[in-house]
Amino acid sequence: MSFTVFVFGYYTVLLVASCIAAYFNKRAVFMLLFSLTLVSFILGIVGGVGALQTVAALAGLLALAGMISYGFREFLVYLAEGDVGAPLRGNNTLFLSVVGLFTVLAFASSAYGWGLTEIFVFLAVAMIILLPLSPDTAKELRTAPMTAAFGLFVIFTYLVMGVFASYIAPHGEAEVISSAFAPRGEDMLLGADQLGRDMFSRIIYGARNSVGLALVATVAAFILGASAGLLAATKGGWLDQLLGRIADVIMSIPSLIFALLMLSIFGPDISVIIVAVAIIYAPRVFRLTRSVAGNVVVMDYIEAAKLRGEGNWYLIRREILPNSTAPLIAEFGLEFCFVFLLVAGLSFLGLGIQPPTADWGSMVRENATLISFGDITPLIPAAAIALLTVSVNFVVDWMLHRSSGLKE
Amino acid sequence: MGDILGLIGRRLGLGLIILLVISVIIFFMVELLPGDIAQAVLGQGATEENLRALRKEMGLDQPAIVRYLEWLGGAVTLDFGNSIVTDERVTTLIGDRFMNTLFLASYAAVIAVPFAIILGVIVALLRNSIFDRVANVMTLTSISSPEFFLGYILILYFAVKWSMFPAISSLSEGMSFWALLERTFLPALTLVLVVTAHMMRMTRAAIINLLASPYIEMARLKGTPPWKVIVRHALPNAWAPIINVVALNLAYLITGVVLVEVVFVYPGIGQALVDAVSKRDFPVVQASCLIFAATFILLNLAADVGAILTNPRLRHPK
Repeated sequence: MSFTVFVFGYYTVLLVASCIAAYFNKRAVFMLLFSLTLVSFILGIVGGVGALQTVAALAGLLALAGMISYGFREFLVYLAEGDVGAPLRGNNTLFLSVVGLFTVLAFASSAYGWGLTEIFVFLAVAMIILLPLSPDTAKELRTAPMTAAFGLFVIFTYLVMGVFASYIAPHGEAEVISSAFAPRGEDMLLGADQLGRDMFSRIIYGARNSVGLALVATVAAFILGASAGLLAATKGGWLDQLLGRIADVIMSIPSLIFALLMLSIFGPDISVIIVAVAIIYAPRVFRLTRSVAGNVVVMDYIEAAKLRGEGNWYLIRREILPNSTAPLIAEFGLEFCFVFLLVAGLSFLGLGIQPPTADWGSMVRENATLISFGDITPLIPAAAIALLTVSVNFVVDWMLHRSSGLKE
Repeated sequence: MGDILGLIGRRLGLGLIILLVISVIIFFMVELLPGDIAQAVLGQGATEENLRALRKEMGLDQPAIVRYLEWLGGAVTLDFGNSIVTDERVTTLIGDRFMNTLFLASYAAVIAVPFAIILGVIVALLRNSIFDRVANVMTLTSISSPEFFLGYILILYFAVKWSMFPAISSLSEGMSFWALLERTFLPALTLVLVVTAHMMRMTRAAIINLLASPYIEMARLKGTPPWKVIVRHALPNAWAPIINVVALNLAYLITGVVLVEVVFVYPGIGQALVDAVSKRDFPVVQASCLIFAATFILLNLAADVGAILTNPRLRHPK
């Protein structure tokens, strides 16, 4: 009986919504809703009520995500309008030294066990996040698409999750608390993994370990590639040629294969992964930096600075870098996605972060047997990887769109 | 005509040089190992005699450059020496597996290429509509998901819940072609999902780029029907980017196959590589890496050559 009510309600909502959309001349919305209605006819016949319920649940999820993104975007707009970043922007040296101080305090706290590491890390990160919030960005945030707002929200959530993992997670990362593959319950939201550790806690800790490793590796690749690119653009000549040829060779080896080769030789170790990723992905950054900086180098103000007698380091720091930040930041996002997927793939193959450290890629592999019993738990870490990559891609898409000024 | 042959010949030469450099990297990276291979294989507790015997057997008493030339000479004739772990010939170990991998990749390509190009053209024509935006989000999601995520989702639904296809693609001798296609359907579908998304986005970008050019506007203004604008005016110029897109994605397929093979326990070269890496079986690792790199370079070359053949402008560089 309740199924009948659901099916009636389902079609009524869809039809009423599409009629309203048509009446108010919202063409795109109407097309979407009405084609969904038509598809639902077929889906309902083939898959029965269950299929329609899935569609309804997905629509509900989508609406939820939309509302969260809308709320988060408005939140950011208010913050930006209030110009919360202003005091930070006034003095560069002061800002850098305060962030540096927090970082040092975080290290000291973890070394001496004050238990305040998370707080200091969060303060340092928060200052960097607040920095770009100004009335100028408020204008751009207001026109940001929902997908970008959703991406920003997800990135923020992962950040909090990663930094405060030890407070959020109910159990320790490597703490065995029950039997292997114990079912879900009050104490364990997602059940236990293959050794009886709490799955939920491990997923939370995974945000710190997996994302942290990918972030460090990306930064390494970026520093290597960007400095080589800037050097090639400013010096030119044989150095440019040499670096370009090296980049060609590295890029013609498939990235996963190259990483596997290096791991087989030096053994699966975090430092090896970071170095391997840095070498594999630096050429992409190198090419972009070189072409962006190459366009800046020929400008008149560079010529003027050179005539003033400024050195290469000054040119790079004060003239070239400030004029090529936008594409570089977007590239950083893209690069992070590639690195994250590569590192996740490596740990899935058992060659990434070694146990007992919680890591999303290896968690999928270790618990994969559960899938053959129809349990989706092993898919959650994989979904967490996908969600972060999608979100970063959304944000990068928006930034590229904004900086290129393309309408199509 | 000789002009084209010269250009293609130059590209092929460049590809060969890059392959040679890569073979040098692959070979000499193993030399960077602290100690040597014999030490790494036998571990810390090995006695001096054992080490010496193994070194002699593997030819480690000769200088590296001699061994490299021998290895390269062997590689050209498809002889990669013996595996350290099982002592089998590497060629017999990975030969069949390489054919399996090629089969899986071409299975995926046969489905993905026409599908992706047609979809890409459609979303390019419907650009900025709601369908385009939905397609954009879907392809982005598919690209951003790790291959094993898509693979396990397919296993969960197609194999476990609906039991339509087998979850593990084990192959056996004398299987009929249809049984083979059914066994390998899920891994192929995983690859199709990833590659289609890539290809669709790139095809869309190529077509949109083209539709913005003045001669298309001219064709529209003189009253040519829309389908004719696409087929007669846009498509001939779109072949070059599309061929490029296809070749690049096939190259991508070759590496994506490693993870998919592990998920579906498919007996391909990717799985052989992963096993060899965890066992530190260097001859197998070197051989598989060289094969993967060669295939990758070959497909990239094909992209270049295809672009030269279909785009006359590239034949006359300014």
